[in-house]
Order: sequence, then structure tokens, then C-alpha cells
Amino acid sequence: MYLARRAWAQLRNEVLVLPSRSAVLVWVLALLVLPLVYGDAYVLRILTMTCIFAIFAASWDLLAGYTGQVNFGHALFFGAGAYTTGLMSLKLGITPWATIWAGAAVAALFGFAAGYLCLRLRGSYLSLATLAFPLIVLGLLFALPDFSGGELGISGLRRLAVTPIANYYIAALSMLSIVFGLWALADSKFGIVLHAIRDDEIAARASGINTLRYKLAIFSIAGAAAGFSGALFAHYLRVAGPSTLEVALSFQVVIWGIFGGLATVYGPVAAVFLLYPLTEWLGSFKTFGELRLLAFALIVLLVLLFMPRGLGPWVRDRIEAQCPRCKQRNGAWRSACRLCGAPLKTEVSRSQGLVGHQ
Amino acid sequence: MLQDILVTGLVNGGVYALLAIGFSLIFGVARIVNIAHTAFYMLAAYCFYTLLVKVQLGFVTAALISVGGVTALSVLCYRLVIEPVREHEAAVLIATIALALVFQELMLFSFGGHYLGIPSTLEGGVRFLGVSIPYQRMLILAVAAAMLIVVWYVLYRTRVGLAIRATANDLEVANLMGMNVHRVAMITVALSVSLAAVAGVVVAPVFVVDPFMWLAPLVTMLAIVVLGGLGSMKGSLIGAIAIGYIEAITVFVLPAGAYLKGAVALAIMVAVLLVRPEGLFGVVFEEER
Amino acid sequence: MIRTALLATALVVSSTALAQNTLKIAILGPMAFVQGEHHWNGAEMARDEINKAGGITVGGKKMQVELVRGDTNEIQSVPDATNAVERVITRDKVDVLIGGFRSEAVLAMQEVAMDYKKLFLGVGAAHSKLGLNVEQNYDRYKYWFRVAPTKDVDLARTLFAVMNSIGDQIRKDLKTDAPKVAILAEKAVWTEGLIAAAQKNLPAMKMEVVGLWQPSAVATDVTAELSAIDRSGAQIVFTILSGPVGISVGRQMGERNMKAVAWGINVEGQKEEFWQAAAGKAQFVSTLDTYAEVEYTPKTVPFVRAYRARFKKAPTYTAATYDAIMILKDAIEKEGTTNPDKIVAHIEKSEHVGTGAVATFDKRHDLVWAVGKTSGIAVQWQDGKKVPFWPPQVKGMQPFKMPAQ
Repeated sequence: MYLARRAWAQLRNEVLVLPSRSAVLVWVLALLVLPLVYGDAYVLRILTMTCIFAIFAASWDLLAGYTGQVNFGHALFFGAGAYTTGLMSLKLGITPWATIWAGAAVAALFGFAAGYLCLRLRGSYLSLATLAFPLIVLGLLFALPDFSGGELGISGLRRLAVTPIANYYIAALSMLSIVFGLWALADSKFGIVLHAIRDDEIAARASGINTLRYKLAIFSIAGAAAGFSGALFAHYLRVAGPSTLEVALSFQVVIWGIFGGLATVYGPVAAVFLLYPLTEWLGSFKTFGELRLLAFALIVLLVLLFMPRGLGPWVRDRIEAQCPRCKQRNGAWRSACRLCGAPLKTEVSRSQGLVGHQ
Repeated sequence: MLQDILVTGLVNGGVYALLAIGFSLIFGVARIVNIAHTAFYMLAAYCFYTLLVKVQLGFVTAALISVGGVTALSVLCYRLVIEPVREHEAAVLIATIALALVFQELMLFSFGGHYLGIPSTLEGGVRFLGVSIPYQRMLILAVAAAMLIVVWYVLYRTRVGLAIRATANDLEVANLMGMNVHRVAMITVALSVSLAAVAGVVVAPVFVVDPFMWLAPLVTMLAIVVLGGLGSMKGSLIGAIAIGYIEAITVFVLPAGAYLKGAVALAIMVAVLLVRPEGLFGVVFEEER
Repeated sequence: MIRTALLATALVVSSTALAQNTLKIAILGPMAFVQGEHHWNGAEMARDEINKAGGITVGGKKMQVELVRGDTNEIQSVPDATNAVERVITRDKVDVLIGGFRSEAVLAMQEVAMDYKKLFLGVGAAHSKLGLNVEQNYDRYKYWFRVAPTKDVDLARTLFAVMNSIGDQIRKDLKTDAPKVAILAEKAVWTEGLIAAAQKNLPAMKMEVVGLWQPSAVATDVTAELSAIDRSGAQIVFTILSGPVGISVGRQMGERNMKAVAWGINVEGQKEEFWQAAAGKAQFVSTLDTYAEVEYTPKTVPFVRAYRARFKKAPTYTAATYDAIMILKDAIEKEGTTNPDKIVAHIEKSEHVGTGAVATFDKRHDLVWAVGKTSGIAVQWQDGKKVPFWPPQVKGMQPFKMPAQ
């Protein structure tokens, strides 16, 4: 009873005071309750895929947004997870429930290796080197077709669960735990160091932070999360093929990440939840369904023009304001800060667009 | 076999050089990683195809119109899409990706997904050192060399080139010195895309034209500019020749491994980056605050 | 008020009654691409022909055929394909699925279809695993049949039969004892078996294998490979290609005026657009194919003519959706029901004279291979036209031509 009251107090004081957190709560509840209300298999399939890709996008954001390692080859980890779990469950006969963890572990190793190779690289060099990694692995996979199944990949994988609802819950619960885990990580002291590495690595090193260790760690963690999503993908579709490593997938996660807002774990997740069902819905139209990718690209372009920092931050800035004195966030409709009482609406002139870098 | 490698490597290297130099230019000056660079190359190829095959114009007219049209389109795209988000590097990145996707889908929609062939500008070939080289490929080499000389001339012998080099060197000071940096960026975009468009017109007859033709050259071109060093013309040229030779060697030495030529080139690029993190001749930008 | 309600109810009841009298078939394919286009066209021809004749007779009643267009976009995305399958089954409530093209995607699509126990007639993917699944787990996968093409390993038998005949012609024309063959196969799993078979069988057929080259399926430049092949002195280039590399091979062989002739599988070479795509240079390129204006079966010529008249182009093998629908119609009419299990049992035992093949199915629900029945034909590009030249006993075949030596 005490716990229940405490939970309610927490809810009232921490979550419901801010519109963004309330929105997240509503979203979580909706995700959990949806299949009980609307059990249509097609919708569940779309949402399962969305949850899987949301994990993928969140892991990319941790790497690219928080740590500044803009990874153009994130599909490497996705594919590593998918192929590992596929090979182990098919060739060794181990249950998928165990091999998905193995997939995440192998992907973490790939992350470590990729991070190691990229330690000295900066900016665009890092991005383009990471672009190369999945393509090199693809070449290797094609070179060993007996092992990897070549262009067909590995098929006939066992499912994690039989019914669409069970699969949905597996994906949704995994997504919620991983995304919240990543967000908690980003919000902790570890996350502050990641911010420091992105903003000024030399200064961070000068302050005594072993940036090497942090970079390797974050590559491994992001790799593990992406590998996990790849493993879920493989067992859901029952096929793990070279399409899990292709450039288009890497570009797709970059788009989701930046569209949703860098360095905000919720941003890319929101982007996936918005864009993936949208493109699927567009694709279901008989007449102009073939234009779905065009519509997607145009939407991205248009939204970028109005929200260059991404969708997440833009929406958040509309519904919340930051107190100038204590820097805590408040609902935008408030006139005074909920914590320190300072007036929220002060006249701050808009900074001019600077010429050059930000 | 040695002659095969020597000749094939040079010819393919020339092809890559045309694409790589434009990309390197735009990165060195405007600091934009233009993922849509090869998409403009694709647009020029389609434009050339339409004018040549459907409208039946002559080679030169079709080429000039294609290059001019695509260059103009690129400036328009820059004004509409890139310039408003110039300060947000991340946004610029996905803007160029989205732009490339838009072009791909438009071409898919207008021309369908099947492959088109553009007739060669020059028919026939010649035997050199026992290797048969079609005239079209020699044309590509000649055009690549000519464009290199033109770019060098513009950059190093004209006032506009001076402005471009100055803004590449230090954007803020150039602005302070009274140069219109926006206009300079636009001119750079036009110059860079015109190189890609020329590549589209000259190279596309050798390859097949389809809406996805921009992806493979993109990866090879990125490997080249990274290998040579972003922002360095000399580096891009050397990188292009190097990658051309690496691919030729892979195919001739390992005929059953010809499909690996892309992966080998990329692996070599990664290896070089391990030793020299800025590429062979890379320009290192000071961290701007 | 009551009258409008009664009218509304009557309309609803009658429309659902009408709706029950249609057979909904989903045509699955990459609709933005040539393969999907032909999937749809072949199906439309079948639907119009059936509906014009009144429909399918099922136990006394007539059922109209209704087609549902399922764009799988499988060439670009495998999840899109599985989403499309789920959509047509749960949203559009189709009864049968026909189509598929990219083997990686069809393997995933097969899983979804079998989950729902829907008949899935494959028209396009040749991978043996699809049939192997039927053999290994009959109860789950029995609803799958491959109407076209023959499975990948059977393609080899046709290829070597034709190779023999080309080899004989070379022996006669060029007065060599052992024609030299260069194998040019794209790097892909489906070519592995064919390469191994070639390396084993060609020497037994008294032909010399001078080398193996394996470009990527999407390679646009094969000059290096062709230079080396030139040097090797090969007379036949045995092509095992399905991607756009086939166009580059055709074009660049023509531009170099190579003395060798290309024979094998060249999927791009089966399309009408091939000549233009190779800029008019692909003279003498020959490939395995399915449709031409020859009397392969009694129905082939009228079908090809009608298809060309309606769609202004010749059909490729994915247009065998026509045959798939006709097989379905026969099975429904003979069994008098649309029950999938009964239809499966019927198709297993039946022989169907289609437009592209005379089809009988083995225990893997794959086509049984036989020359003149399901082997397909061989065509050669001569002066901008696809000229069929094999099997020679079929009416309409023309002679095979060699490049000038």
C-alpha cells in the first residue's frame, strides 16, 4: 500500500507535471494495451516491425547523437545480430531465446572492433569508414556462400513465439526496456562524458577522461542493442539475409535519427513510430503506392526545412519551456516555474543564424 | 595480363576521377558531404538519354543541355533545401540523402525500373599493347583530363577560384574580407555538380542507366575521396587512379573473385585510414568553435 | 424510414452475397519493375478470359475472378514483401496468392502464407529450398506450388542440352574438336550448382573449360573479364547471369567484336528492352527463355500474340501467372470446391497444358522436367529480335548464328 501511494506520488510529481513525460506515459500504456483492443494481424505486424526498428534507431542515436560518432554503417550490427542468431539456431539447433542474446553479444564484438578501427578518425572520415564496414562484411559473406547462404541468406528460422500478439509483446517489451535503458544510460554520468566527447574530445582528454574506453564502450553498447534488434528481426521474418547489411538500411537509420532529433533517445523512436507506419500506409494504396519512398523523402525534406534540429526537439519546444533561472523544464502554458517560481516568459531576442559551423 | 591491368586500371581510374574531384571540391569548400552527388550524375545520364534517344538531338547539343540543366537544378536545390539548414550539419546530411532518394524515385516513376542503354558517342576501338580499348573509354579519359585542367585553371588562375580557395581555408575571415560566402558556396556547388553531370554524359554510355545507378559509384567515390583525403584535389586524383588499379588487379588476378573488387577497395581504404586518419593528402580542419 | 432500412439491408445482403461469389486472387510482385508488370499483365489476361466466359463453375454456381494487386517491392525491401502478404490476406481477404520473384523475399513470404494456410502459387523464384520445404514438412508447406520456372537445378539440364547442340555447330563450322568454353557466372548462391555441373559435364561433352570468371550481379563493367576471356581463345561464353551485368556483357562483347558467342542464362536478355539497354550491340547473345511465337504448347502462340496485341510487348516468364490462374480454375472446377486441401490434392495429380509449359508436379510441388514440356526454349538476339532456335523439333524454330570469325 505504501508502495502504491509512493508510486502515485512519483507519478504526480515527476511524470504528470511535464507534458512530454505524460505523453510518453500515454504512449507506453497505448503500446501495451493495443493488442487487447485491436487485434488485427496486419496492424500488429507493422507495429512489431516498428518496435524492432525503434531499438535500432535508438542505438544509433546513442552512438551518433550523444557521442558524435556519426555511424553510416549501423546496419553492420543489425546484420551481425541477425546472421549470428540465424546461424546458431539453424546450424547448432539452439533455441532462439538463447541465440538472440548471442546475436547481441557478437554484434557488441563487432561494435568493439569497429570502434577500435575508428578511434583515430574524426568527422566525415569516421562516417565514411563506418559506411565501408558492412560492405566489406557483405563481400565476405558472398565469398563464403556455404556458410552464409550467399545472396539468399539463411531461411527457415524458428520463431520466438507463434501468435502475432505474442510476437508483438516480445518486440514491444524489448523495445521499451532497451530504449528506457539507453535513455537512462544517456541521462547518467556516463552520458555526460559522451556529451563531452562529442563537443570537444581534446578538452575531455585534457580533463583526464579516458575517451578511448568510453568510445569503445559506447560502440559495443550501441552494437549490442542494434544486434538485438537484428536478431528479433531475423526470427520474426524467419529469414536473415544480406538485406540486413545493405547501405539503404544504414541510410534509413540515419534519416530516422536526424529526423527525430539527435541526442534525444525519444526523438528517433518517435521518428520510427511516425515514419514507418506512414510509409507502409502510403504503400498500401493501389494507385500511388509505388511512390511511397518518394513521399517519404519529400516529407523528410519538408520537415527538415521547418524543424532542422529534428522533430522531437521541435515538438518539445512547443509544449515545454525552460526556466531561465533553475534550468528545469516546465509546461509551456505556465507563467512561473514550478520549482523556483521565476517568471517563464521573458523576452529573449532570437539569435541570428551564424555563418559557418554551429 | 600486365598490359590488361595497366590499361584497364587507368581507364577506370579516369572514370572515377571525374566523380571524385567534384565531390572533393564541394566538401573542401562548403563542408558538405553531398550524398546526392552521384544522384546528379544519374540525372544527367537520364537527361542525356532522353534528349539523345527520345528527342533525337545531336550528341553535343544533348550533352550541353544535360550538363547545363542539371547544374541549374543543383543550384536551385541548394537554395531551396540546403541553404536554409546550412548551420545544422546533421540536417544537411540527411537533406542530401533525401534529395538523392527523391531523384531516384522520380526516375523510377518516369522511366520505370528497367535498364536503359545510351549509344556510345564514339564507336569502335583500338588495340593498344594487345588490349582492346573502345574509343568511348579514351574519350572518358580525355574528358577527365580536360575537366581537371579546367578545374585547376578556375581554382588557381581566376578571382572566383581565389574566393573559393579562401572560403575553403577560413570561412569566417573570408566573410569578414567582404566575400559573399553564400554566393561562393553556390558557385562551388554549381562547379562540382557540373563535373558530376559531365561524368554522367560521358560515362553513362559505358554503363547501364537505371534509377539505382547512383548507389554503387557513390560508395566507390566515397572510398576514393576518403583514401585521397577529403578536400584535396590531388588526393582525389591519386585515390581514383589507385582504386582503379586495385579493382583491375583484383579482377585479373582473381577472376573467380571479381565480385570482391568493391570490398577489396573499401578494405584498402580502411587500412589506409588506420595509418593516416586523414587520408593520404587530407586537409585537416581546425576544430571550429 | 422502415422502407429505407429494408432497402439498405437488402443491398447489404445482396452485395455480400455477390461478394461471396468472387474468387479473390492476390498477385504479388514488385509492381514498379518489369517482373511485377508481367505478373499483373498475365493475371489480367487470365481474369478477363475467365470472366468473359462467365466465370469459374463451382458446384453449379459461377464465380467471378477478382484480382488484388499486392506490391511487394521485394527488390528493394524484404519486410515490405511480408507486410504486403499479411495485408492482402488479412485486409483484402484474398483466397489465393500468386507471384513472387526474389528468392530471399519469397522464402519469407512463403512462411506467412503457410501460417494462414493459403494456396501460394509461385511464379518467378527458382530457388530449390522453396520446394525442399514441401518435402521436409509436407503438412505445413503443401499449399505451395511452383508454377514457373523449373527449379534451379533443372535449368542445368536444359542448358547442357542446348550447349551440346551449339557445340556440334561449332565443331562443324570451325572445324575444332573440343570447343573452348569460358564460364562467366555472377557471384551468387544460385549459380554455384550450375558452375559445378558445368565444370563436371563439359569435359564429358568433349568441351574444354578455359576459365571461370565471377563478376558481381550488379557489375556494370566487365571489360577486365572479357579481356581475359578474349585472351583465353574461348568460342563459347557460358553465361549464368540474372542481374544487369547481363546487359553489360552483351553490350561490351559486341563493342569488342568478340569471336565468342554467349549462351546460357541471361535474365536481362529475356526482356524486350535488352536490345536498347545494350545500345544495339548485343548481337548473337543467346539465352534460355520461356515465351516466343513458337508452338511450344498448342496455347503458346495465341497467348503470345494476344499478350503482344494488348500490352505492346512480349511476355517474360513472370507472365506465367496466366498459367497459374488456369491451373487453379481447372482444379476448382474439377473438384467442385474452393477448399484448399482438395485443390492441393488435385493439382498434385493433374497435368495442365499451359502457355509456357505442360505442367506436372513432383512431390516437392516443383515442375517435372522434360524437353519440350517444361524445359523452356532457347532464343538468340539477331538484329534486334529474339529468335527462338531450340528445341529444334518445335515448329517455328530458326537456325542459330555464330559471330564472324
